[in-house]
Amino acid sequence: MSDLLIVIPAYNESENIRWVVKRIIDEFPQYDYVVVNDGSRDNTAEICRSEGFNLLDLPVNLGLAGAFQAGLKYADRKGYRYAIQHDGDGQHRPEYIPDMVKKMEEGYDIVIGSRFIESRKPASMRMLGSNLIQLAIRITTGADIKDPTSGMRLFNRKLIEEFARNLNYGPEPDTVSYLMKQGAKVAEVQVTMDERIAGVSYLTPINASKYMLRMLFSILLIQNFRKRGK
Amino acid sequence: MTITLRIVVALASILTAHMILKKIQQSKMVIEDSLFWIFFCGVLIVFALFPIVPKILSEIAGTMTTANFVYMAIIFLLIVKLFHVSVKMSELETKIRNLTQELALYEKENEPKDEK
Repeated sequence: MSDLLIVIPAYNESENIRWVVKRIIDEFPQYDYVVVNDGSRDNTAEICRSEGFNLLDLPVNLGLAGAFQAGLKYADRKGYRYAIQHDGDGQHRPEYIPDMVKKMEEGYDIVIGSRFIESRKPASMRMLGSNLIQLAIRITTGADIKDPTSGMRLFNRKLIEEFARNLNYGPEPDTVSYLMKQGAKVAEVQVTMDERIAGVSYLTPINASKYMLRMLFSILLIQNFRKRGK
Repeated sequence: MTITLRIVVALASILTAHMILKKIQQSKMVIEDSLFWIFFCGVLIVFALFPIVPKILSEIAGTMTTANFVYMAIIFLLIVKLFHVSVKMSELETKIRNLTQELALYEKENEPKDEK
């Protein structure tokens, strides 16, 4: 058994899930993985079963936070030391995992795979949102996270337990901001991400704006009132 | 708006905001669900602190007095919330029904085969 678990939340990813997982199995057999099928309405689960993938099949749709938490509960029970969030749509490249683990061993709790440490953000609406979240995190925590919306995040054992066992620990920038404010050490490592190959993104402009507003409101206001247990 | 009404509205919304934030602190409420209430309290506090805002809105809406507009705004927001809660409740019922059925089917598939 590896000490790192790749958690792959998948919702209606029948077009991508096969090659995303195959790439991990073929090129990175040193890591364990688990696919969390979040009650998909397409045949994501059937594909995983017929291919013999390690699958956690949620019978109803919980949303990303619930699906990711299911993966981390699995990691918690099996005693993994590291868990990494890996999108089911093929945007994340597993070859950056060793760099991220190396960074974590320098004493960090969360390591974010960041697109914008060395390269500048392109000018687009989505990046405007990213900049706003970055600013909100800087205002609340005083620290700079260059790619707060990156979904590629590596967590250590302590954070796996915390995410697995608590409410309001969605894998989103507001949780990262809250944890930083409460003393968690967060670092970023430069990565490259691919465009989604097939299927449609959930982030339509309307959804993206709603998401941004929710994040800003949560980071600037609500997270300041939370307390972290022990 | 009389000064009494303004004070009551402000106090009520501060109290509500306090209760909601406390629930989040105790991990008894999901942040998404709290956003509506924080927004609701924010609107009422703006009404209480700057009565010119509901006054202008009241003239646009054509209500007799500003106080009437404030009541109308509160009722309207609460109706919208009630609608969303109903939708959410239906979703939850569906999920529980599916879960229960899945669990029963799962147990059926995994029960010992030695019975006749």
